[in-house]
Amino acid sequence: MSEKVKLEVLNPRGVVEAKQANAPAPRLTDLAGKRVGLYHNGKPGLDNFFTVFEELLKNKYPTVKTNLIRGSFEITDKDAEAWAPQIDTFVYGVGD
Amino acid sequence: MAGTVKLETMGKPGVFINCTTFDDDAKSASADNGMPTLRRVKISSQDFYKLRGKVETIRPLVEAVFDDIIDALTKPLTPEESNASGGKYEEESTAGVTVTAESYPAAAEEFNSVFLNNRWGDGLPLIPPTEERVKWMLSGTKRKPDEVLGRINPKQGVATIEKIAINAVMAGAKPEYLPVIIAAMEALADEDFDDLHVLASAGSFNLLTVISGPIAREIGMESGIGFMGHGWRANNTIGRAIRLSTLNIGHTWPGKNDMALTGRVSPHTFFTFCEAEDFSAWEPYHASRGFKADDSCVTVGSIHGESQLNHFYGGMIGTWTAEGILDRMVEDLVRTDRRGYFMWGTKGIGKYLGSGGGAMNHMIILFPELVEELKKIGFDQKGLQDEIYKRTSIPYDDLNPAERKSLQTAIELGVIPTDRKAVFEAALKPGGKVPVLISPDNLHFFVAGGAPGCAFSFNYYRIPPYNRTALMTKRITGATLTKAGAV
Amino acid sequence: MGKPGVFITCDTFADDAESASRDNAMPGVRRSIIKSSEFYKLRGDVKTIRPLVEGVFDNIIDAITTPLTLDEADTAREIKDDDGPDEITITAESFLAAIEELNQQFVEKRWSDGLPFIPPTPERVKWMLSGTTRSPHEVIGRVNPKQGIATIEKIAINAVMAGARPEYLPVIIAAMEALTDEYFDDLHILVSAGSFSLIIVVSGPIAKELNMNSGIGFLGHGWRANNTIGRAVRLATLNIGKMWPGANDMGLTGRVNPHTFYTFAENADLSPWQPYHAGRGFKAKDSTVTVATIGGASPMQNFYGGMIGTWTAEGILDNMVNDIIRTDRGLFMLWGVKGVGQYPGSGVGARNHFIILFPELAAELKNMGYDQKSLQDGVYKRTAVRYEELSPADRRGIQTGIEIGVVPAERKAVFEAALKPGGMVPVLISPENLHFFVAGGAPGCAFSFSYFRLPPYNRIAVMTRLVTGATLTRAGVIEGKNVPYGA
Repeated sequence: MSEKVKLEVLNPRGVVEAKQANAPAPRLTDLAGKRVGLYHNGKPGLDNFFTVFEELLKNKYPTVKTNLIRGSFEITDKDAEAWAPQIDTFVYGVGD
Repeated sequence: MAGTVKLETMGKPGVFINCTTFDDDAKSASADNGMPTLRRVKISSQDFYKLRGKVETIRPLVEAVFDDIIDALTKPLTPEESNASGGKYEEESTAGVTVTAESYPAAAEEFNSVFLNNRWGDGLPLIPPTEERVKWMLSGTKRKPDEVLGRINPKQGVATIEKIAINAVMAGAKPEYLPVIIAAMEALADEDFDDLHVLASAGSFNLLTVISGPIAREIGMESGIGFMGHGWRANNTIGRAIRLSTLNIGHTWPGKNDMALTGRVSPHTFFTFCEAEDFSAWEPYHASRGFKADDSCVTVGSIHGESQLNHFYGGMIGTWTAEGILDRMVEDLVRTDRRGYFMWGTKGIGKYLGSGGGAMNHMIILFPELVEELKKIGFDQKGLQDEIYKRTSIPYDDLNPAERKSLQTAIELGVIPTDRKAVFEAALKPGGKVPVLISPDNLHFFVAGGAPGCAFSFNYYRIPPYNRTALMTKRITGATLTKAGAV
Repeated sequence: MGKPGVFITCDTFADDAESASRDNAMPGVRRSIIKSSEFYKLRGDVKTIRPLVEGVFDNIIDAITTPLTLDEADTAREIKDDDGPDEITITAESFLAAIEELNQQFVEKRWSDGLPFIPPTPERVKWMLSGTTRSPHEVIGRVNPKQGIATIEKIAINAVMAGARPEYLPVIIAAMEALTDEYFDDLHILVSAGSFSLIIVVSGPIAKELNMNSGIGFLGHGWRANNTIGRAVRLATLNIGKMWPGANDMGLTGRVNPHTFYTFAENADLSPWQPYHAGRGFKAKDSTVTVATIGGASPMQNFYGGMIGTWTAEGILDNMVNDIIRTDRGLFMLWGVKGVGQYPGSGVGARNHFIILFPELAAELKNMGYDQKSLQDGVYKRTAVRYEELSPADRRGIQTGIEIGVVPAERKAVFEAALKPGGMVPVLISPENLHFFVAGGAPGCAFSFSYFRLPPYNRIAVMTRLVTGATLTRAGVIEGKNVPYGA
């Protein structure tokens, strides 16, 4: 019967306060005739990615309209507020 | 991620595209931004980085994820996705940990394994933060354990004196170091300090932590030969306590949300040292930041990645003169900072004007003999700042059109602050001399090293990507075991 | 040889000089000490140094002329440094109070590196030794500067302190075998003022078995195997070689990565090539450790890749080639220098380059038709400089280098043919001086280190050793022997 040794240590982790979590926006049922926003954060490769994507999108939904904008790593609040009224849905690319 | 979440909350359904390497990071960031069930489509990192160069090469990759993207935009939200509210962060226990074993050394081994598996350690042996050890550590400060200093990114974990003490125990520090560690964490947790970039960026950025004032000697810090290296309990464990505190309070892990690609040099201790003791030619660094000369302070600054030590020499290999070292420094600064001109005229990466690019801050370490020489030829810190600022200015006539345009735009956008506008407007004319530094204050001198010594420097963005500043000096307070830093 | 003399040294180096006298078996060597803070400053001019020399003149004359004292003359005794007791016992109120006491004592004794270590109790050392079949008493070699004897047991003790696990021990032993090899110059890296460092690269199947990290953040914190293997080498050399910063380890600034060196593993999973050691005389399926000395405090040359811009393999190759030409082209005139130490060309001249390629880059290079050997040949060729561009001093340097054997016999013909109009003169003595390692994640970065091809104090400063004697992994086993010593 060996003597067990007990080591009790405190938790080093910072408390992360519970955040208000929100559900994503409800989806569109169909993209026909809709305005699809494409966000390009400036990273290389997104040009080519979106070129192909737009092509495939227009093939599938001939009446779709695309709206590509370029912004910083993170779309600014101002840019988001200006862009939102111009789109119905979006694809956000960060190039990583 | 914040932007994506904002668009969703404005009622626009979307999808976030990320590479596999960044999948954990993206998942983590969604939760951090209050939308844990935000829809994402992932692409193989290996494929993306390799194929993104041409439309023809990336085509198959886009074709492969096309349907997933359409689905993400059009398939209705599941009950689980809709039911995201409730504010539950990923399940991480806040309780302590108990290990049992045959012997204390076996228990210590078990403790180290558990902590590292939990991603609560840094790879090297930790001292177990028992209640008794933490109490011992807290004896070094008058401040209350539950005092909140601020929050640490990326998870915005709450930094309390107690949590810092726990990590200081783990680091192997002594109670008399705690007030220093606290002051450093006050800087990092300050609401204006950009801790996010240095802690999480792919660029493996690092931290410079310099202690100045009488406390350095009282707690046995080293500032002579080998001052940035191993063997100094105070230097090394203070740096480590900052590493562990940020890791645990901010909840970062390499490859998960600390995306430093190669990893940082001096990863366990960062660059942590003190100004030279008993050195009286100049005032301590903090005296130039509005503190009293006999205060004890900690200055924390983010610095660039691996090749950051620009060596101006001195040392043993050849004879040196202060003029010669000054020449090298000026040459080096012009060379590196001129390359940044093209970014001066851009709004910035983040929300602050000029953030993450353009003009730099330079943190220059001078060895004591060099400073004595500089003083002899008539320079104090302010004089040296002005001299280098002047000598690193480039004749307007030498600038190319793109550079001139960028600088002009910088003035228009307000990237060049109002109090420096006149200087740059006057310079941007034929016959003018255009500075590569926004202001002489962007040169920060610290005196450290032995005899012989070396001069070298670090640099970083004057305006960091995600906040107002990445260089801050805090006064040390609340010390109980030293005369310095007591009040 | 019967010639009485005096050794002049600066006070910063006084301890180092005393230590070195003992190392060279003449502790009674007379020394005259000059103040460092004066010498480095005043040595530039006869006029300025005059008062300094006048100040020590009598002292020097006395040292040469005053008869030896009885103590100085007594040379027949054996000098043995006090190694201290075999075992140290600490008593305290609790286990952790004892740990604290032990840590503090060891740092004061200069037996530790400043961070907490695991107490090397007999039981822990026995646990560590279970990782090898080799006898604890086996002598691996000697470690400078004190030529301390490295046994398996002493290495195991330091491995315990470092926080390593038994399965890492065979890797640590292999690294120590390289450092203590009779031809490996461990002295320079361990004590030079230039704060030189080590890369310790593990390749072969053992890396994965030990959970070494070779992906995102591979050079950084958080990886027990990477970090403690490096630390075990740091502690083993510190304790067996008996060196201390400022005393006889004269690294002026101190090393980056002071506690762990640069310790990592090749990424076998993502590499398209054979492991590094397959090109150095080992079998691909072997597991090896490669140890190499690398340049001073700011060693990393970054060729990028990574995330910031698109990259091409050609572009990175260009960067690499230009960089090598930039640093090595200026060394031609030093090829003919006799050398710092006893070997021709030691401590000067042409270099070895250690280049880390991220896996995708290696994949691209493979697509372009390269393997390591053809890449060596390709870069070797592309870094050659036109004969017409060499200065007379460059040509003389190379010529002399051929004459005195700095250019090895087997490379003589190549250089003789190149040193003619129309010839292309390589900056590298041989393609073998390019060492490629594949490590990193996706995305990744390419970067390199370099060092003298011929080190100052011995024949080589890069060596690959087979990992042997493993008991807890399938890799690193000597066929047929898989039983721990003493089991």
